[in-house]
Amino acid sequence: MRRNHINTYTSCALLVAATGVLAAPGAAFADPAKDLQVAGRALTFLENGPTGRATLGVVFDPSKPASVAEKDAVMAAIGGGYSAGTVTLVGKPVEAGGVAGASGVNALYVTKGVNYAAVGAAAKAKKLVTIGSDPACVGSGACVMGVTTTPKVEITVNRSAAASVGAAFKAAFRMMIKEI
Amino acid sequence: MNKILLAAGVAGLALAAAQTASAQSIDYGSLQALFNEPVTTSATGSPQRSTRVPVDMDIISAEDIERSGAVDLPTILSRVAGVDVLAWSADTADVGVRGYNQAMSARLLVLINGRQSYLDHYGFTNWATLPVRLEEIRQIEVVKGPNAALFGFNAVGGVVNIITYNPKFDDTDFITVRGGTEDYAEASVGQTVKLGEQFSARVTGGYSRQDQWRNSVGVADRLIPNPERATLNVDTVTQLADKVELRVEGGWTHNRQAGFISTYSYGPSKYLTESLKAALTWESKAGLIQATAYQNNLTAKSEIASIDTRWENKIQVFNVQDLFKVGANHTFRVAGEYRRNETPTTPGHTAKIKYDVLSASGMWNWQVTEKFALTTAIRHDKLSLEREGDLAPGLPNQNAALWDRTIKETTYNVGAVFTPTDADTFRATYARGVQLPTLVDLGALQLVIPAAPGVNIAYVGNPGLEPTVVTNFGVGYDRDLPQIRGRAGIRFFVQKSEDIKGQPNSAQLDVMPTATSLPGFSYRNIGDSKLKGVEVLASGKYANGMHWNANYTYTDVEDDTLAAFDAATRYAAYELSTPKHRANLNVGWTNETWTVDGFVRYEGSKDLYYAAAVRPVDSFVSLAGRVAREFDGGVTVAVSGQNLLSERQQQTSGLKAERRLFLSVAKAW
Repeated sequence: MRRNHINTYTSCALLVAATGVLAAPGAAFADPAKDLQVAGRALTFLENGPTGRATLGVVFDPSKPASVAEKDAVMAAIGGGYSAGTVTLVGKPVEAGGVAGASGVNALYVTKGVNYAAVGAAAKAKKLVTIGSDPACVGSGACVMGVTTTPKVEITVNRSAAASVGAAFKAAFRMMIKEI
Repeated sequence: MNKILLAAGVAGLALAAAQTASAQSIDYGSLQALFNEPVTTSATGSPQRSTRVPVDMDIISAEDIERSGAVDLPTILSRVAGVDVLAWSADTADVGVRGYNQAMSARLLVLINGRQSYLDHYGFTNWATLPVRLEEIRQIEVVKGPNAALFGFNAVGGVVNIITYNPKFDDTDFITVRGGTEDYAEASVGQTVKLGEQFSARVTGGYSRQDQWRNSVGVADRLIPNPERATLNVDTVTQLADKVELRVEGGWTHNRQAGFISTYSYGPSKYLTESLKAALTWESKAGLIQATAYQNNLTAKSEIASIDTRWENKIQVFNVQDLFKVGANHTFRVAGEYRRNETPTTPGHTAKIKYDVLSASGMWNWQVTEKFALTTAIRHDKLSLEREGDLAPGLPNQNAALWDRTIKETTYNVGAVFTPTDADTFRATYARGVQLPTLVDLGALQLVIPAAPGVNIAYVGNPGLEPTVVTNFGVGYDRDLPQIRGRAGIRFFVQKSEDIKGQPNSAQLDVMPTATSLPGFSYRNIGDSKLKGVEVLASGKYANGMHWNANYTYTDVEDDTLAAFDAATRYAAYELSTPKHRANLNVGWTNETWTVDGFVRYEGSKDLYYAAAVRPVDSFVSLAGRVAREFDGGVTVAVSGQNLLSERQQQTSGLKAERRLFLSVAKAW
């Protein structure tokens, strides 16, 4: 009897823990692979943007499981190289604290849950375009671009953030996205 | 032609030394891949996602075209909600949107990459004279209702803008060979070449022929010849500088067909068309600037009322446009256009009818809130008409001063789009468009017809004919249905056409005889007409490879003809000739090797003219389909057919439409 009780309790605990991981805010509905595809394609619409092989730094907070999960999903989606038009992106995980010291990256993909303000400031100093899947990032100006893909593709560009890193997007692209 | 290229070259080149070849023209493919939906500029002139446009628009994709099993554009268009097709012979058809379709319909403006392919002499689109092969079309954008503020005159019933692949972004190479019943034979080829980073070009060409439909109307066989057609199309893109691009397109077509003139009788026709267009795009600090110049030449020979007529029509268009964004939420387009159109009178070519049009237009798109956008577009056109030279003696309207006339019209399109949730879109539109009298309406055709032994009457134009003004109000609602990966939508529309054009009929004299001139019958403004209707559409897609789409459109036309005229006598009784109902159901399945598609169409009854009589046409159902298998190496073998349900079917007042079967072998690389 007592053993069954403990097993039931353990099972419940495991179930709750599992649900906690899976139901992290936004993660149940977002699709990091699709987000990455849109982010990669959007980079091809930058004036004087990267061409050929480019490195996308995927910024994550190792202390936040959701951020780590998103980073893993994005890196998996990039695989050996994600081809978007004239650009082939390779991924490089970058810890949020290490953005300032990151080298060899052409743009940054910001996962949900990192300290946007700090990452944004560090990226601005290096004139790097930041793309985030959390609308809060682009809304606050820490990210130059925000991308959501479910239920529909929505792209938002923060004009002042773009200007501060010297990023300009092609006219046709700007007319089709939301600018704030 | 040299003048046009020189003008394009002079139009503001900012030569930069930068080496990066950046894209200026709209890269439809990349934008569509980015947003996961088609992209268009045919609503406002600004690139937009197809689900966000402030007009009712349907887009036919390249895959739709391939899977249609159709060999001509009208058949493909017939499956779009609200579209009516009147197929007069195997190679001649008129297409209308939301009613008012007729022989040589002037209400639909048809463009190829923004260049008018509509023929101004009779004011209609001769689909056989479009120089594009089906394989080189990326998408066909069908705008329903007037969109004159963007496209100008004659965009009153709707606009069809055929967008081809761009040789700079798309590598389109194909060869298709097709055979079919009734001796159908077709060959079609296309090849794209790139020279370094700066130059790309696509060349396509093709030839087709078939036996004409059986003579079920009892006319002389020579009036309905076997159709035959050849086309050639060249599309080049040159990167002149980092932000400057030049696109030059040239087309040539030569064909023979059983034409069906605007007064509903067959006349064998041969057409030769040539077009050359240059478009310079410059992504400048002041916005996306585009300067376009093109010339269309038409030479046509037709037999009308047993008289040989020869047409020569030349149009030249110059257009400059600037598209720019102000702040985050406002997009503007300003444009100016000059157009020149001329044709000698026929037969005889004794005089020339010509007009110049100067236009200015503007568009403002305001993203008011995240969920609400408002678009306002307005255009003003000023047309100056004149006649040079004399008409043959005995014809009425000898005085050339009757043609000294100015037509000034303002047209507009206003649209509001409200997206309260990610799945719901509401749309409301209000538009005013103007259908210009054609060159034939204005006197380009001057026929002397023997009415009785020794008695002649003259078929003449009316230089004072007023344009038809069309105002349209519509509301629409679309809902995404992610559970079936589809959408459903409903649209309501009411439309009024004022100063409807009535055609000449020898039963009613319009110009009284004088001591020196014959009596004449001509074009007149005969009254108004009103339309109301509803369009319902839905589509779905399943993981097992199946997809379907269905649509139904109801239209109710009420003519309000002036007491002095009878609409049917004037071939303008639209409440009789517009069917009330039309519906389409398409079901398809694919598993990457096999593709099967079926198309069912229902069209309600209508009364159509034929040789001065009105004939009732019963409602009918038609079935078309295609089965295709893809092999390694990009080879596709397909069997397709149209009008499968009966060997011959009365779909119009003319020849019965025939069942046709085709076998195609195509290779793409």
